[in-house]
Amino acid sequence: MENPAIILWIPIIVITLLSLLKMIKKSGANGKPWIRIEKVEKNE
Amino acid sequence: MSRHLALRSGNPALKPSTFTNQYASQSEGVMTLNGTVNKTGISLLLVLASAAYSWVTPAMHSLAMPSALIGFILAMVNVFKPKLGHIFVPAYALVQGVFLGTISMVFNKMYPGIVVQAVFLTFGTLGALLLAYKSGLIRATENFKLGIFAATGGIAFLYFINFVMGFFSSGIGIISSNNTMGILFSAFVVVIAALNLVLDFDFIEEGAEKGAPKYMEWYGAFGLLVTLIWLYLEILRLLAKLNSRR
Repeated sequence: MENPAIILWIPIIVITLLSLLKMIKKSGANGKPWIRIEKVEKNE
Repeated sequence: MSRHLALRSGNPALKPSTFTNQYASQSEGVMTLNGTVNKTGISLLLVLASAAYSWVTPAMHSLAMPSALIGFILAMVNVFKPKLGHIFVPAYALVQGVFLGTISMVFNKMYPGIVVQAVFLTFGTLGALLLAYKSGLIRATENFKLGIFAATGGIAFLYFINFVMGFFSSGIGIISSNNTMGILFSAFVVVIAALNLVLDFDFIEEGAEKGAPKYMEWYGAFGLLVTLIWLYLEILRLLAKLNSRR
């Protein structure tokens, strides 16, 4: 392999992605979305 | 709080009884997460500055072994005198920086670029595990603590035997060998060192929750620093083994 350090990044990336996924799921369960789009009233 | 009932860490600096008799009086203030994070940041900056200076200053290279010995003594002072952490934790960081700078320079001469990779991997691991801990992906349960504690103890015992065997021009081959078993062993040690970070996070959170005195912020930073230095050295060793097979 050209750069053996790449192998060591794989578990770090996997853990990060799984953590982010878990955080997204958690916030979904609480009913608190990350982004809230509100209706814009006329002349607001 | 129930998660912390039987606090156990593989890190010898962070033992179960540490917070038991450490309650803050109202005048001295209490340990906080932010305070510990700041002190960890200061300690890491001191390590990096000292390591960088030692790397570029040839006169410092002969101090690698004395600094390792002084580092060990300072670590013992920090373990037994946590109230003096504001003096001895920065001192420990500076002395360990000399050792790490010299060792890193030697490794980098053998395998150019290896140190940058090891530094990024160490901080990458810290970030990933912090995220995993905060999200609840990895929890410091009692069984988890027991497993990491046992594995860390086993590794420490193996390293001690290897150290003693070194006096007789011998050693445990698996620790330094670059064959498949040697690499698997190193990878295992890296995983255990990384998982010790989770125990450190738990330990620091416990201190802040229990209202430990302000000086314990330095102690928490010291525990995290010990684990990070160990993790960095093990990643460096693993990368060196992998590079030697190319």
